[in-house]
Amino acid sequence: MNFLNKWKYLMIVVMSVLLLTSCGFKDIDKRYFVVSIGVDLDKTNSKRYLVSLKFAVSNASKETPTEFQIISEKANSMSEAVRMIKTKVDKEIDFSHAKAIVLSEELVREKGNAGIYYWFARRRDIQKISWVAIGRPSALKVLKVKPKSERIPSNALFLSLGKDGSESPYVMSEFLFDMKYRLIERGIDPVLPIIDAKKGFFEINKVGLFNKSHMILTLPPEETKILNFLRRREEKSSNKITRGKTTIVIDTHKVNTKYKIVTPKGKAPFIKVNVSVEGNLEETTKRVPKEKLSDFERAAEKSISKEVKNILVKIQKANLDPIGFGLRYRSRHFNNDDWEQWKQIYPTIAFKVQTKVQIEDTGLIE
Amino acid sequence: MNRYFLYLVLLNMLINVIIFVPKILIEYRYDGAVMGVLIAIPIGIALNYLFSTTLTKFPQQGLPEIISLLKHHWFGVVHLVGIQLVWFTAGLITLISFIDILTRFINPEMPKLLLLTIFLAALFLIIQMPTDRVMYLLEIILFLNTPLIAFIIFKAFSNEYLSWDSMLEVGTHIWAWPSLKAIAAATYCFSGYTNLIIFNRVIKGKLKLWNFFIITVLGVFNLFTTFFIPIGFHGSDGAQELLYPWITTADSLRLVYSPIERVIFLFLMFYMSISLMSISIHWHVALELLKGTFRGKVNMKKNWIVLSFFGVFSVIGVIYLNALLLNKITVYWLIGRLGFELLVVCIFFFWARRRAA
Repeated sequence: MNFLNKWKYLMIVVMSVLLLTSCGFKDIDKRYFVVSIGVDLDKTNSKRYLVSLKFAVSNASKETPTEFQIISEKANSMSEAVRMIKTKVDKEIDFSHAKAIVLSEELVREKGNAGIYYWFARRRDIQKISWVAIGRPSALKVLKVKPKSERIPSNALFLSLGKDGSESPYVMSEFLFDMKYRLIERGIDPVLPIIDAKKGFFEINKVGLFNKSHMILTLPPEETKILNFLRRREEKSSNKITRGKTTIVIDTHKVNTKYKIVTPKGKAPFIKVNVSVEGNLEETTKRVPKEKLSDFERAAEKSISKEVKNILVKIQKANLDPIGFGLRYRSRHFNNDDWEQWKQIYPTIAFKVQTKVQIEDTGLIE
Repeated sequence: MNRYFLYLVLLNMLINVIIFVPKILIEYRYDGAVMGVLIAIPIGIALNYLFSTTLTKFPQQGLPEIISLLKHHWFGVVHLVGIQLVWFTAGLITLISFIDILTRFINPEMPKLLLLTIFLAALFLIIQMPTDRVMYLLEIILFLNTPLIAFIIFKAFSNEYLSWDSMLEVGTHIWAWPSLKAIAAATYCFSGYTNLIIFNRVIKGKLKLWNFFIITVLGVFNLFTTFFIPIGFHGSDGAQELLYPWITTADSLRLVYSPIERVIFLFLMFYMSISLMSISIHWHVALELLKGTFRGKVNMKKNWIVLSFFGVFSVIGVIYLNALLLNKITVYWLIGRLGFELLVVCIFFFWARRRAA
């Protein structure tokens, strides 16, 4: 290289790196970070949606808890709402820290909101690992809750939806990418947790089951727990078992569920569900002698089997499939019309539930 | 011992994520992609074996030196120009596509041309280096990045949201008639060996059989990962909606206790150097082949004329090609490349045999 020697060239390359600015020409103090997004139906009906963004107000000191600001806007679509919210804030709106999306119950009960769900998936700056949940009584009320223990805005929501903070079998958290997956995939349907906004805390112990377009069914806490067992997402739980006059509570530490779709030729197809539970005895109303323990195991098996079967039938009656039986059927059959076949089979299929309960430990008291 | 040969093949296996291979495979998942992948594996391995064993008959010589043995100079020129066009476009597609990814995911406000300038500056520096130095740079970059990419792939495989049922569902469409587009896309993963036409200059010793064995294992694993992991995360029905299946998949992974929770930024960071290296390798080959077409020694002036052509074409490409259009072009480019590759390997194989006999 005659006219441009190598070192000069290298310097140009190194200097050109200085042109790269990390935050797209806008400094961090000129950005306003969205931590959670709420979408409600507009009650006044002048527009379709009420979109609320919860912003974290950045704070220089670590001592005081960080403040937040919620800005709402009525619009007919998500993008219009966000564009209008931009006119209400002084800084650039940054979605890269939006980790929770709350949809109101009225919204998800209504058909034809796929545009909203897809807006989140289409935007490149919204994390696909943000949590999606249903808000009660409204998404805005959920965003407004400010627990005392919270130091960063919306952190309480992130901790309770994720597994980093509290772990509970009643919480069935759902990521955005998984929700989109379930909205499209034939044979498995979305499940979203329901957040009840209370004064100063959240209550997340119910779940809403979707078909491909809207919410059909909500499950109470106990059924949510059983569904969680079936989806193998959480293993720690407690189960109340009554036998005669004695009630015992088993604290499970291992729950394993397997299912198999059996289609014998000429006979009615059925789904075999095997649940195996291992746990400790945690609480009894009366003294339980060691010899009687196996009797309680039998009783527990019976009651869990019944609960599992009840909820499976309840979901089947609503023609929903949150566990993915249909997908399992599709994946095990080579013909091209397996999905059409399954739609015929599913409403009448029988469930055979077998449970095995093992009480391994009775705690410190015999 | 030929780890350099493996590096060249491995580089193409890693870069297929950027050059729309997963997108094409997923698009034809119900229409012959599975069978296409299965057919592509033996084709890829066979081409690898034929070409590299033939080339080792000319130890430490690149194609320009070998062709200079020919009597007809014009024949050599046609041959070299044809090949160098394919190599240049290979690098160009990777470059345009990765610039699109960078502006889309990291810095939407930054003008694409500025990003291109920075890339081109680095590229021109690398591709003018002697072949052995390019090789060493490739080794260093692969050494730094491959373990971390392997970690991301491990995290993807061990993720509880990975749905094996969806992957199996696509697997049940194995008997669909294989699609040519899928075969062409899948063979791209194996075609790193073709860089040997220049890099044979620095490869010493013969290629042993276990080189090809490793390539087979890596290739099968790589194709499985490329094709099926996005399906496991986004569904057999849903994965086709994604423009960049692997980048969205990286965004669906979560490293709870790492400094950056979102894997997408780590993924893009690793791929930044890998794609830079891939473009450099392709363009280095193109540049060296072009130099071979000139009679006599190549002076600075000719060199910079060639480089400015490279620059002009990439500027035109970045301005006029958006991701959707590029995707369409890439599908046909991959088919053309497969045909061309078959042609080059066969001609070369028979020519070398006749010459030896």
